[in-house]
Amino acid sequence: MPCDELPANLKILWKQVGANPSTFSAEQLRRETSRLQAKRRRGQIVLVACMLAFVVSYGLSFFLFSNRLARLGGALTVIVCSYWLVHALIEQARVAPDAGETDGLSFYRAELEHTRDIHRWLSWRWLLLLGPFILFDIGVAQIYVRTAPFLVWLMCFDCALLLAAFAIWFPVKNFRMARKYQDLIDALDAAPGGDQAHRAR
Amino acid sequence: MDRTEVQDGLYRKATQEYGEVLARMAYAYEADPDLRRDLSQEMHLALWRSLAKFNGRCSLRTWIYRVAHNVATSHVVRQVRGKRIASAFLTLEEAENQTGDKDVEVYTNRNQALDRLFVLIQRLDPLDRQVMMAYLEDLDTESISEITGLSAQNVWSKIHRIKNVLVRRFPRGGRNAL
Repeated sequence: MPCDELPANLKILWKQVGANPSTFSAEQLRRETSRLQAKRRRGQIVLVACMLAFVVSYGLSFFLFSNRLARLGGALTVIVCSYWLVHALIEQARVAPDAGETDGLSFYRAELEHTRDIHRWLSWRWLLLLGPFILFDIGVAQIYVRTAPFLVWLMCFDCALLLAAFAIWFPVKNFRMARKYQDLIDALDAAPGGDQAHRAR
Repeated sequence: MDRTEVQDGLYRKATQEYGEVLARMAYAYEADPDLRRDLSQEMHLALWRSLAKFNGRCSLRTWIYRVAHNVATSHVVRQVRGKRIASAFLTLEEAENQTGDKDVEVYTNRNQALDRLFVLIQRLDPLDRQVMMAYLEDLDTESISEITGLSAQNVWSKIHRIKNVLVRRFPRGGRNAL
């Protein structure tokens, strides 16, 4: 038999939790902020360095190989990777909604939309990388078809891997994640007095 | 007093008055102790940073609750991405309808009742969690509405559901446990 007083008793139980809360001094938080900013800067430097190394190595292939397909693949890879790099840097510079100024509903929606957009962006842009890589592999295979046949097999294997990853695995995974977040947004909209009502206020 | 001193002073006041609330929120949002510690630190950090922009347009309490809930919401959204949450969240309506015999147990131990309460809260949709926690913290409908952005009527209806869910899931146990 339900007891009407119960929620009040649960409230008392609830308030017994967290009797010894974590405490931080302003100085500790200042240090932590500096540490996080330094970590973020390091992350950006590593990202840019890795992408640049990748771009430069493909850029060099343009001068190293005389095969047209390899050169075209190398040049397109440089363009697409630069596009990804710029997008990654813009994404890192994104300013999140102010946590104190924004109410729970708006903040939750903004977070869901942002994460959905990341996955949507990624879902088909893997295909942009696929074309240049495959062109490059085919070009290299053409160059070494007589002198090093094993390289041809290696390039075939690489193409198969790239196809599986960039044409199927990554896009499907990102597409599913985008759907998952869209479902959460839809549920938010459909809830009684949910986001639609919130917007009307 | 310069701006940094005001910020530090507000933070000290906030942790003195609402430190326990922040700790409870971390418990309710994260079951894993290590991740909970991280979340708690993240909440404090975000709160301290945000207090530099505190303009008094809302009460300090509303500001603290908003920051803490929003940080925790980001944490939950990241968990969805990290596959830690396989399916969609449970809404209060679903929680109310799902209450079957297996959920109705009598608790003689307060820890058991609390564990069960935390499990229930951690499965809820982030917005419903906010309402549930604010209700458990004894906040009035208007304050909850200001924190969550839901209409007062919607908050009221959610609180009604919360009461139903709690009464059904914790029959007599809460009283006996005390």
